[in-house]
Amino acid sequence: MKPTLILVGADKGGVGKTTMSRSLLDFFARKNVLTRAFDTENPRGSLHRFYSANTEVIDLGNVAHQMKVLDTMESANVPVTVVDLKAGNLSFSLDLFERIGVLEAARNNVFNLGLVHVVGPSIASLDEIGEIAKYLNGVQYVLARNAINETNFFEWDEVTHRKYFSAIPKAQEINIPKLNEMAYEQVDLAGVTFKDFIDNRSADGSAAKFSFVLRGYVRKWCNEIDAEYARVPLLQEIVAGGRGPAR
Amino acid sequence: MAARPTLHIIASDANRNGKTLLARLVADYLLLDKRDPFLFDTDAPEGPLRQSFPGRTTLADFETIPGQMKVFDTILASPGRDYVVDLPQRHLQPFFTAASDLNFWDAAKTAGFRIFVFFIVDRTAASLRAAQEIAEAAPADLFIAVRNDHVGSSWPAKAASLHLSALPRHISVAISDKRFSLSQFVLGDEQNLSVDDVAILNRFLVEVLDGINGLDVELSLERFKR
Repeated sequence: MKPTLILVGADKGGVGKTTMSRSLLDFFARKNVLTRAFDTENPRGSLHRFYSANTEVIDLGNVAHQMKVLDTMESANVPVTVVDLKAGNLSFSLDLFERIGVLEAARNNVFNLGLVHVVGPSIASLDEIGEIAKYLNGVQYVLARNAINETNFFEWDEVTHRKYFSAIPKAQEINIPKLNEMAYEQVDLAGVTFKDFIDNRSADGSAAKFSFVLRGYVRKWCNEIDAEYARVPLLQEIVAGGRGPAR
Repeated sequence: MAARPTLHIIASDANRNGKTLLARLVADYLLLDKRDPFLFDTDAPEGPLRQSFPGRTTLADFETIPGQMKVFDTILASPGRDYVVDLPQRHLQPFFTAASDLNFWDAAKTAGFRIFVFFIVDRTAASLRAAQEIAEAAPADLFIAVRNDHVGSSWPAKAASLHLSALPRHISVAISDKRFSLSQFVLGDEQNLSVDDVAILNRFLVEVLDGINGLDVELSLERFKR
């Protein structure tokens, strides 16, 4: 099976990009699909905090780091590479990838390229959809609407809604449900993956004492996300064809 | 009644029909049986059940996540004892929905609990439907329909149920005082009731406590029928 590169990004900050990357890595882990991840929030890397075993912090502007991601897609023997793009880096990364031939390679089916574009409920966030449309030929584009504050996405204004959400005809829309703040904060505090939190495991693999209720809310949230991911052909193809050994 | 630790959930779809009295009766039964029950009063902020058992009751607002943690996490963290959960009407659906969403029933059974759901069926047809819905939704070891004569019930009189006969108003008022202990009354402390009232309350308690005592037999019969 061809390797898959999934970019997770947004130009606007605070829309939930890292949470989205975490939920994707968690989803693959639950489905026994091997992954590796790159966190472009250089030098600290918030994704790296939760997935230290398979995440590397890189600077995508650095050619050596670009090589680390792109030249190892085949040799890494891992079906999925997730790149968490830091805020403001989405347009830059797509432009870079266009210039150095990455998008062309994806169009020629050398590998699968997915873009999970996380949008929040603001015009600034939605404006990004039109701005990146020119790069999306050959890219499997997933528009993730993150309900971080339980608002709607201008559904009440049909013209505005259609203007943004119909801009890219092949866009696959998914909705990221809201996770209860207390549960979210406890996972954050524990510095573990969602899966480990549900399984009541600490970062070092030992038994933890997380709240049953909060674990239940995280499990429910993951189930809701799984239902959304079940509608994304790219992810389902990976799950169907890219299973690693059970972990 | 139950040798194994048991969760006793007291619920109804209506208010002011005897839930807290029933919770007290179950708790007092357990105390008389030398058990060590812990109680959750989810009727925050009033906490009428806590007033009767201040040392072994915690108040939890089930509408909040910390309240849900107080109930579910406490039960699962200390599984070796009996628990009584008194649910006001407004927490009926949230409680059963959360228990189901969070897989609480499975976790409780894995922890060794039996689950008894007591549902006071009020006099309306809607209450009868609500009872049937809860009986189907909650994977209880035993669902106990309760008929309280004081408010009336749409539950068929001939069908199996726990029966609370109507008490004269002045006795209801007397036993609703937070200082009145039903278990102490059973043990001989008449707590200033008249001789006639003692006889009436005795009859009431014998019937109810016998009914609760018979639940183990009923559970055995249920299993036999299955």
